[in-house]
Amino acid sequence: MEEKEKKKHRAKHSGPKAEKKRKRYLNELGIGDEENARKRNPKAFTVQSAVRMARTFHRTQDLKTKKHHIPVVDRTPLEPPPVVVVVVGPPKVGKSTVIKCLIKNFTRQKLVEIRGPVTIVSGKKRRLTIIECGCDINTMIDLAKVADLVLMLIDASFGFEMETFEFLNICQVHGFPKIMGVLTHLDTFKNNKQLKKTKKKLKHRFWTEVYPGAKLFYLSGMVHGEYQKQEIHNLGRFISVMKFRPLTWQTSHPYVLADRMEELTNPEDVRINPKCDRKISLYGYLRGAHLKNKSQIHMPGVGDFTVSDVSFLPDPCALPEQQKKRSLNEKEKLVYAPLSGLKILSFQEEVRPNHELVQSLISTHSAIDVKMASSKVSLFMDSAPLGSEDVGQEFVMPKEERQVDLKTGRVRRKAVFEDDEKENDDVASDEEDDQEEEDEEEAEENERVLLREGVAVRRAKRLKTEVAQEEAVNELPAFADSDDDLEMSSEEEGETAPADSEMEEDEEEEEEEGDIQRTCGDESSDSEFEAANKRAESKQYDVNSERAETKSQISQHSPKRKAVLTTDSGNCTAEEASESEDDNSSLEEGDDEGGSHEELEAEEPNRNSNRNGFQHSQAKKADSVRQTKVKTVDIEDDDVENLLREEEEYEEKIDLSADTTGALKWKEDLTQKAAEAFLRQQRSTPNLRKLVYGTAVEDEDQESEDADDELGGLFRVSRPDKASKQKANALDCSKFLVEKPQDWDLEEVMSSIRDCFVTGKWEDDKDAAKLLEDDEELYGDFEDLETGVVHKGKAAAGKEQEEDEKMSKPEPEEEEKKKERMDKKRKLKEMFDAEYDEGDATYFDDLKEEMHKQAQLNRAEFEDQDDETRVQYEGFRPGMYVRIEIENVPCEFVLNFDPHYPIILGGLGNSEGNVGYVQLRLKKHRWYKKILKTRDPLILSLGWRRFQTIPMFYIEDHNGRHRLLKYTPQHMHCGAAFWGPITPQGTGFLAVQSVSGTTPDFRIAATGVVLDLDKSITIVKKLKLTGFPFKIFKNTCFIKGMFNSQLEVAKFEGAAIRSVSGIRGQIKKALRTPVGAFRATFEDKLLMSDIVFVRTWYPVSIPTFYNPVTSLLKPAGEKDTWSGMKTTGQLRYERGIKLKQNKDSLYKPIVREKRHFNKLHIPKALQKALPFKNKPKNLEKKGKTPKDQWRPAVIREPHEKKISALLNALSTVNNYKIKKAKVKHREQLKEYLKVKQKEDEQKFKRQKEAKKKVYRILGQREKKRQKSSLKGSSQMRK
Amino acid sequence: MRSSGAVRPLPSPARPLPFAPADVPALPVPNHVGSGMAGGAAGEAQCLSYTGCNFLRQRLVLATLSGRPLKIRKIRSKEEDPGLRDFEASFIRLIDKVTNGSRIEINQTGTTLYYQPGLLYGGSLEHDCSPSRGIGYYLESLLCLAPFMKHSLKIVLRGVTNDQVDPSVDVLKATALPLLKKFGIDGESLEIKINRRGMPPKGGGEILFSCPVRKVLQPVQFTDPGKIKRIRGTAYSVRVSPQMANRMVESARSILNKFLPDIYIYTDHMKGVNSGKSPGFGMCLTAETINGTILSAELASNPQGQGAVVLPEELGQNCAKLLLEEIYRGGCVDSTNQSLALLLMTLGQRDVSKVLLGPLSPYTIEFLRHLRSFFQIMFKIETKTAEEEHMGGEKVLMTCVGIGFCNLSKTIR
Repeated sequence: MEEKEKKKHRAKHSGPKAEKKRKRYLNELGIGDEENARKRNPKAFTVQSAVRMARTFHRTQDLKTKKHHIPVVDRTPLEPPPVVVVVVGPPKVGKSTVIKCLIKNFTRQKLVEIRGPVTIVSGKKRRLTIIECGCDINTMIDLAKVADLVLMLIDASFGFEMETFEFLNICQVHGFPKIMGVLTHLDTFKNNKQLKKTKKKLKHRFWTEVYPGAKLFYLSGMVHGEYQKQEIHNLGRFISVMKFRPLTWQTSHPYVLADRMEELTNPEDVRINPKCDRKISLYGYLRGAHLKNKSQIHMPGVGDFTVSDVSFLPDPCALPEQQKKRSLNEKEKLVYAPLSGLKILSFQEEVRPNHELVQSLISTHSAIDVKMASSKVSLFMDSAPLGSEDVGQEFVMPKEERQVDLKTGRVRRKAVFEDDEKENDDVASDEEDDQEEEDEEEAEENERVLLREGVAVRRAKRLKTEVAQEEAVNELPAFADSDDDLEMSSEEEGETAPADSEMEEDEEEEEEEGDIQRTCGDESSDSEFEAANKRAESKQYDVNSERAETKSQISQHSPKRKAVLTTDSGNCTAEEASESEDDNSSLEEGDDEGGSHEELEAEEPNRNSNRNGFQHSQAKKADSVRQTKVKTVDIEDDDVENLLREEEEYEEKIDLSADTTGALKWKEDLTQKAAEAFLRQQRSTPNLRKLVYGTAVEDEDQESEDADDELGGLFRVSRPDKASKQKANALDCSKFLVEKPQDWDLEEVMSSIRDCFVTGKWEDDKDAAKLLEDDEELYGDFEDLETGVVHKGKAAAGKEQEEDEKMSKPEPEEEEKKKERMDKKRKLKEMFDAEYDEGDATYFDDLKEEMHKQAQLNRAEFEDQDDETRVQYEGFRPGMYVRIEIENVPCEFVLNFDPHYPIILGGLGNSEGNVGYVQLRLKKHRWYKKILKTRDPLILSLGWRRFQTIPMFYIEDHNGRHRLLKYTPQHMHCGAAFWGPITPQGTGFLAVQSVSGTTPDFRIAATGVVLDLDKSITIVKKLKLTGFPFKIFKNTCFIKGMFNSQLEVAKFEGAAIRSVSGIRGQIKKALRTPVGAFRATFEDKLLMSDIVFVRTWYPVSIPTFYNPVTSLLKPAGEKDTWSGMKTTGQLRYERGIKLKQNKDSLYKPIVREKRHFNKLHIPKALQKALPFKNKPKNLEKKGKTPKDQWRPAVIREPHEKKISALLNALSTVNNYKIKKAKVKHREQLKEYLKVKQKEDEQKFKRQKEAKKKVYRILGQREKKRQKSSLKGSSQMRK
Repeated sequence: MRSSGAVRPLPSPARPLPFAPADVPALPVPNHVGSGMAGGAAGEAQCLSYTGCNFLRQRLVLATLSGRPLKIRKIRSKEEDPGLRDFEASFIRLIDKVTNGSRIEINQTGTTLYYQPGLLYGGSLEHDCSPSRGIGYYLESLLCLAPFMKHSLKIVLRGVTNDQVDPSVDVLKATALPLLKKFGIDGESLEIKINRRGMPPKGGGEILFSCPVRKVLQPVQFTDPGKIKRIRGTAYSVRVSPQMANRMVESARSILNKFLPDIYIYTDHMKGVNSGKSPGFGMCLTAETINGTILSAELASNPQGQGAVVLPEELGQNCAKLLLEEIYRGGCVDSTNQSLALLLMTLGQRDVSKVLLGPLSPYTIEFLRHLRSFFQIMFKIETKTAEEEHMGGEKVLMTCVGIGFCNLSKTIR
């Protein structure tokens, strides 16, 4: 306890208290507070270097802007298509189990076998299309292109497999979708530590591949063959909240991941030729961009096609209607997987009957008989026209009746799926039956025909309207286009007159389907009524009476009939009207089919006329009925002559226009109007669209009929064509000449454009004066504080008055006022915003704002239009469930159809369907073990396509020349050019050498990007032409063997040549003989043994080989065995053919001859001229010294001999002595050095110890000093 | 033309050897390579077929831009002088010049034309236009094609600069270039320069047209033409008295001054070699609004030796009235450039573009039909009546969603 109390006080170093203390301390010192250092010592904070400051600023800005992405217009549709989730992984990793578990998690349903994509509703705003990706590289490539999210399954017990990496690389090339890793087989780890380690290891590897922090899921174990519920639930949550980035390729191309395939080929064609090209329809959600009809598409694995037809269908897996609930109820948890066979029943219930009908009505574009002959489906599809036709036939041969019944029975059976429809049909057929009975009773043939036809048409109509709202709209135009007055009046009267239930029926059918029951009742009563009427009429008129009588009737009524007929073509143009007549007449002239069409067509106006009759008077109605009846009889009799005459008469009538019935008058008006529109075009009528595009959207009926006609082979004439034909060879000029110049001297004419000028009157919101006034109003009265004058807003006062006045006035003005106010407020706010935001609004912000505005405009522009119209303007928008018809599909696709393989329809942009030369930047993949060879076939995946082609590799030289390479460089990019599909620049691609089978190695051979598209070749390879001198002058030389003709030489005049020994020269001119020889000059004299060469560049032609990988056409089970063109290497290897080598290319031992050099010979003249230094010195061998120059020998005297001997001996002795002394001295020195070393060592040792001691002392002292100094400082602080 | 049988991409001069010396950079690499389209699965886009010589230009231009082959039959087949005329042949040659790898086949009589488009190449070119049509005939199509070339186009066109049939170069310079600018085709190099004026019948004019290259175009919302703030114009005279121009200006002003005080009409009298080969005069007027809309009108004198003599006063007055007529028609784009605006809208990104036009000219209507058949694009056409009385005639609001066109010719580095 005592010790604790002894604990030293610790001074506060931080906190408010310490701060206070410090402040006080500083104040005492007189330095003041630290915060004011800037104030205190401004010089220390000045800019030291402006340059540096600028640089730092620049850098921070750079870093800031680096974070920006270029803003793009957000083009995602309001109701986006389901998210494509691709489950990928090596075999036996648990892909199907994950899918099954996910589906079960979202929909509480169990799928037994998964084939093809499965679409489920995963939440209030999201749907998923889950698809499994096998290990076939074809599948992997295709699915990577359409994936929004990739679930990458990894077997943790095994680790990463090649498939995973391959898929990652494929993704990287084709735009990187979101990737989520899922580790499975984690229950195989017994050791927890090992598990942890593996997880970590795999996670980090995964991160390096995707991005650091990428989500990796762990599915720890299996329970009853399924993953743990909670884990799957979490996975599902992650998927359903994930955000996706838009990928360039995907957002710029429409695509469909087909989830259903149907064959539409005529069975007869198949019977005749089982290998004939097929016609198929594919279903799926449209994704990416807008798809236009008749556009080009590519089916990876099959080929290129042109869409023959597109139609949108009701969503089979729709998102729930917007509601405030938090979660989905069970009913809304839909699953749609037609290929897997799941819920086919329910699917049929919900969708099939509907869309089949939709389809048939939207585009009945093959002839009816063809359709009839085709499959059951198509028979059903055309039930409406069939019905009418059959009825018509039935009139001829009553036997058919049973068939009709059968058919209606079939319709009924189909319609079992939809309760409403069934009831309707029941009613309809009942009604029909009833009528038939009645008819039989009547035994009045013509009558029956008429009746039945009416019924048939009506029935067809009802079917149409039942199908969907759009059809109702489609149906409408026949009336909408006709004179408005007529219809309006009829509508008005329809309410009052109970008899006119037919009209009502039409309207109601448009609006709601629920009331159909009642309407049908009405209708039946109505038809009965009609029938009664007609019966009454038929008694009066004996139809089987003489022809003459009929004729007279026709002549009486034909004008009216014609006039009514023209209502079809609407109030557009006279030309059109007349044309529709033409149509009619030609139709009538045509065969039975045409006749039936005519019946249909004629029936509509008849109904119109019927209505007229109802409206005006009973008697009139009777008339019209009679008239139509007569006409129909006429048609049925195929009395062509009659009709022709009829028309002539009618035309005459028109000319006269004296006998103007109401309809005719109206028609006249119409023609006048149309003529005006057509001729002047100044007055653009509402039908301008029709004028331009021929048929209006609203006029769907007519259009479809036209289409029918076209396909039926009866008609080829569409109006714009005809119009253009008239002026086909006219002058091609873009000027818009004024046909009727106005008199600009007249005051009223002048005033018509007065306000187009700034001098004219302005709109209220732009007029300066008005704006000023507004401002005054806005700011109202204010007091000038300086002068004390109070300014009254007089406008406000006036306004008050006005308001007072307005109080008495009706409300609309009030509202207007309110609106005005709101506008003003809005404007003010905008102004304020603009001012306020101006401060930090950057270029980037502006750009973003602009894009945002554009996106809003895109959304808003066609929002209010119905889909049918909208589709025409925009194309089919992503998110729609579409049905795409394709013709000329190879039969193998249908025969070998395997739902496990994804079918993708990728839309192609403009001219992307063409082929040409494509230049790429390519790099061999660093994991691929071989290098790639020029001219070896390679399989590329580019855009939507997979294809085999022969690339040529090149590298760009410093001068822009593209030089051919034989092989790809190891670790470098190179260029590649090939003949193949045109794909926009910047598109990524990958290359594989083979798509068949599996190899343990990495399969992706190269990756890169498209750089350029061109139609001409730019790759060259080096070529050296050699020649030999055959005559050598000084520096000039005649060379042969390089060229073959004078012309060739001429081409190369002036070219640089070189000898192998390095003498440079130039080609001068061709010689006459020998052919191809030329004169050349060199910088030095050549030798005859020299070889001369010229360097040239030879353009390499790229093989035009383009072979799409048609893997989907292979039989089931062999789809991953597609092999295209083989490389020569492969072929050699397979067949055991050895390469025959050029003998000269082989290496041989080098034998070098001894070189023999001749003597240098300098001419005498030259020698003379040379300076002495360079003169060859005549160092000739000395000859024998002549005797007289010999030196004489010395002979010593005996005495001298003695002396020299003695000296010799003495010197020897002396030498010996010196030697001895030297040896001795050396030994002594050695001894001495030894001793010296010993002494040194000892001395060193001593010194070391002494130093040690000193340093220790010094250190201690230092320590002490430090301690004391620390103490001192702390004391100081105190 | 007709006798020659076929306009084919001219093969390079006789090439005995397909290689060249290294130091001579002129590689004999063929610029125009007939691209034999591979059949099979990379399907050629379906060939479009038309009859008659009318609208030849738009058809060829659209075929080039869409990459679809084109066949035109029955070209003046019923006439005494069947087949393509010299100006059409000249136009086809021009198309051949600016493209690379296009295939053009014409039958013996010249009544059938098959065109398989190549890639737009551009570069520095020269072309002698036929004097039977104005340079405007050629320039209009070049304006459509120029932004989508591989290399920016710099072309010298020689021929008739101003005539009575085609929009003159002055008008195109004053109206089409500002229009291009609105679609993001901008820059210093966008210009039309009139070096020499040439009047019919002999021509002798010369212009320089250069245009930068773009990868994508901007969508436009061009619905408010605004009010006209000034009127400008050019009165030109070549090989006639320079006083003519002044007389024209005077009379035109007398009419236009009733509406607006800000009028300035330049007089342009060219002399010597710059005045071409034939005499003539004329004027073009442009009205510019506060929103940058430019409406134009023009009139030229009758060619020498054809028709009656035109008084310059009369011409000036008539031209001014034509301008008023054009103002009455109104819209954000003047009537000659309607099709250009619509084309650029079509070729925009996948965004909504809107433009307000005056009444559609027959040429534009046909152009819209062609746009539908080449690009499957349909315009939403709405008629707009001016709310107030004095704003001219009815207008047409054209709306479309661009097809997401991107310049496939441009190289990326």
